[in-house]
Amino acid sequence: MEIENIYNRVEKSVDQAAVKLSKSKVTQIRFSNNLIDISNEWNEEYASVFLALDGRTFTFDLKNERDIEKIVPRLLSSMKKIEKNSDFISLNDKSNAYRRKGMRDGKLREMEGHEFVDEFIDRLKPFVKRIGGVFYKKELEDEILTPFNRGSERQFGVEFVTRAFDDKDYPVQTSITTSTDDDLQILMKQDDDVLNLMRHVKNIKDGSEGKYDVIFSPLCFASLVSYTIPMASAFQIDSGMSMFTDRMGERIGSSLFTLYDDPTDDTMFNSKTFDDEGSPTKKTPVIEKGVVKNFLHNFSTASKYGVTTTGNAGIVSPGPWQISVEPGNEEVDDMISSTKKGLLINNTWYTRFQDYREGILSTIPRDGIFYIENGEIVESWGGIRISDSLLHIYKNIEGISRKTEKVKWWDETMHTKSPFVAVADVNISRSK
Amino acid sequence: MEEFVDKALDYASKRARFAEVRYCSSTRNVVLLKNGTVSASGYSIDSGISIRILNKSIAFTSINIANWEQLKEGIDRAIRMSERSGREKFSSEDPVNDFWEVDQRKKIEDVPFEERVSEMKELDGQLANEKIPMRILSLGDNIEEEYNVNSEGTSIRSKLPKVGFFAMIGFLENGSFEQGTVEVGYSGGYEALEAWKLGDRLKHESDVLKKAAMAKKLGDGVYDLIAGPEISGIVAHESAGHPTESDRILGREMAQAGESFIKKNDRGKRIGSDIVNLVDDPTLDHSFGYYKYDRDGVRARKRYLYKAGLINDFLSNRESAGRMESKSNGASRSSEWDKEPLVRMSTTFIEPKDYKFEELIENVKEGVYMKSFTEWNIDDIRYNEKYVGREAYHVQNGEIMEAIRRPIIETTTVNFYSSIDAIGSDLEFSAGTCGKGDPMQGVDVWMGGPHIRLRGISVR
Repeated sequence: MEIENIYNRVEKSVDQAAVKLSKSKVTQIRFSNNLIDISNEWNEEYASVFLALDGRTFTFDLKNERDIEKIVPRLLSSMKKIEKNSDFISLNDKSNAYRRKGMRDGKLREMEGHEFVDEFIDRLKPFVKRIGGVFYKKELEDEILTPFNRGSERQFGVEFVTRAFDDKDYPVQTSITTSTDDDLQILMKQDDDVLNLMRHVKNIKDGSEGKYDVIFSPLCFASLVSYTIPMASAFQIDSGMSMFTDRMGERIGSSLFTLYDDPTDDTMFNSKTFDDEGSPTKKTPVIEKGVVKNFLHNFSTASKYGVTTTGNAGIVSPGPWQISVEPGNEEVDDMISSTKKGLLINNTWYTRFQDYREGILSTIPRDGIFYIENGEIVESWGGIRISDSLLHIYKNIEGISRKTEKVKWWDETMHTKSPFVAVADVNISRSK
Repeated sequence: MEEFVDKALDYASKRARFAEVRYCSSTRNVVLLKNGTVSASGYSIDSGISIRILNKSIAFTSINIANWEQLKEGIDRAIRMSERSGREKFSSEDPVNDFWEVDQRKKIEDVPFEERVSEMKELDGQLANEKIPMRILSLGDNIEEEYNVNSEGTSIRSKLPKVGFFAMIGFLENGSFEQGTVEVGYSGGYEALEAWKLGDRLKHESDVLKKAAMAKKLGDGVYDLIAGPEISGIVAHESAGHPTESDRILGREMAQAGESFIKKNDRGKRIGSDIVNLVDDPTLDHSFGYYKYDRDGVRARKRYLYKAGLINDFLSNRESAGRMESKSNGASRSSEWDKEPLVRMSTTFIEPKDYKFEELIENVKEGVYMKSFTEWNIDDIRYNEKYVGREAYHVQNGEIMEAIRRPIIETTTVNFYSSIDAIGSDLEFSAGTCGKGDPMQGVDVWMGGPHIRLRGISVR
């Protein structure tokens, strides 16, 4: 598909058009119980088209250029009969320049996924009962064309997730995402990370209810902020179903806590230079020192709120690109040794909210729940649930590590750079 | 690209123990309203070819670029990947030649786009009149046409139209907030809208949220529980459907959605009281997860996952059945053309028995009637689960009393099913999107059941 062909086909019939053309090549290797299950490859291109005519808006996606002749006449006829979209004001009408990405990925690109996975399994097999995981190599080329802007960029990255079970079938999980050769060493020593986590496993038992000081690992905290930051989208704020609604400028977290949407970190896969309407992207603090600082905007929502766009279009709904949590200055070992009665939680999943406005949720820790007593890990737990609220958790942050990790896991965790985060008095519940 | 299917199969078959080629096209419409504003009107055509190869391991490739040379290169790469050692067994199944489709009384193709918008505007207006300040409404449809062939002689064409509606609404008064959802789905045409009676459902949900926002928490304790069909459905889905997926049991999802508390040799083990039957059935007419043949080309059929309180059957596809030395029972599904088929549910439900609703509650001294849920979750072996009530009432001496706010059940799968002592004769389904796989695949499902009664459940 050619972006000009699609743009030229639609632009004369409407007031404004934006075309985004994405070409992706992704390979994936999935393995479980020490053996490869499947090798997947996706080689696709698709166009997303946004049209505005007389205050009415329409979007369409296509994966085959020939389909445009089926789509356009039909939608132009429909557009005239639907209601105006009062949320839409305009595409970004400034002519923008985009930063140049700093990519260092030559060695990552040369990686052969099957060999990496086979060697990883062989190295770990003697020490664990069984291992599963996923290796991804992703390449994406994006182009954008609007009446005011034109841009192109590429993304490249490797993701590797593994879950290993020890001889008592207790699981631990690791994750890494990177777009830079600088992280190659970390990627190659994921087996060490698995074994380091496994060394914590002792006295496996069902956990107990109560209030605990919890140290969230980067993977686990990434999950919490991955559910948090989409709620800062101006679309979500407007809907009313967000913990950020009516809280601009309010303190919702400890002064240690700063949370960014950061598409400018080119060492992570989802770094971006422009958004879906041609605005340049930027690093945006959503929560700064515990205070709600910014919502995520496109040009229209920013106009409505009287601010400038944060470069987060989605033209229909602004959204985050990738997350960064400001590191602190504590050492992880010190965080553990200073915990009297607490938990180190390595991962969590199945986060669900009963109240989006107050951030009341529960989520199920897994893959390493380590009970700490008097500064030492003494037990490994299962069967517990965090039943609390994001507002309470963020307000009770008491310590943040200097060390950060770049993680991405399945659908639970966005591309996130996070430190270890210590939170006081987290409510733990369990089945009865 | 459909013109390349037979050529691709011929090319791939020469170097594969098994090859499968699927062309699929999905034509979708969607309307999204946010607090009365038509935020999104969308249309898409998503099409392409996927190829699955089996040699020393499985390889899957998908391409939507209509160019034979690129397609051929994709097949070559898939064949090379399939030569890496890995898992390599598929169950043996008979080839099929067929065409199937789901009929529509009011065809999706004939409904003007603006009619969808008008329907949503009217519903939104009703909610606004009910003083519901937070409203997200979405109406979508999809016509999926598929041509699926494999090297064993299977050739299946299908046309599957679907319509789905989702609403998320929120009510806030004096700082007290409640959120609720309505989700329905149907395989067929826009006759669904009439049957759904969305106006009535949304009015009911509005009333529920208003009542719940003013309701008080019930004291912690042990209560008898009357669970409505929405609760029966989510429990059936989460703690019967998922743990009996054979790929989970075999560990294939171990690094993502997890495994199962059920092990490979657990058929016949007791899971609940002997009146409990759990079914998954893709053949229910017009159900949201309907199919006549699964993605592997295996004929769909009804399966008893739990029977008389015992673990009875596992959901399987050709890959997992092959590993278990058995035949597939037709549970292979993928959410889109470019995703590998996995073991999935369709319509999962607790089978009804013979109790009337009045009989279920008549001798309940202290109980909770939970009709619908808000927050819920379950662990990655599908054993520890939590359901928080949305519409819920206190039951005393056989009578439904006041509404109660967000009662919480945290229990285990075995405890839940073992506590069931009576099952109603009614049966209702709700729609949902079931997530699994990497990349995530959300597939359309129904889940449901009758009203059921459980004795002695901890509620907080």
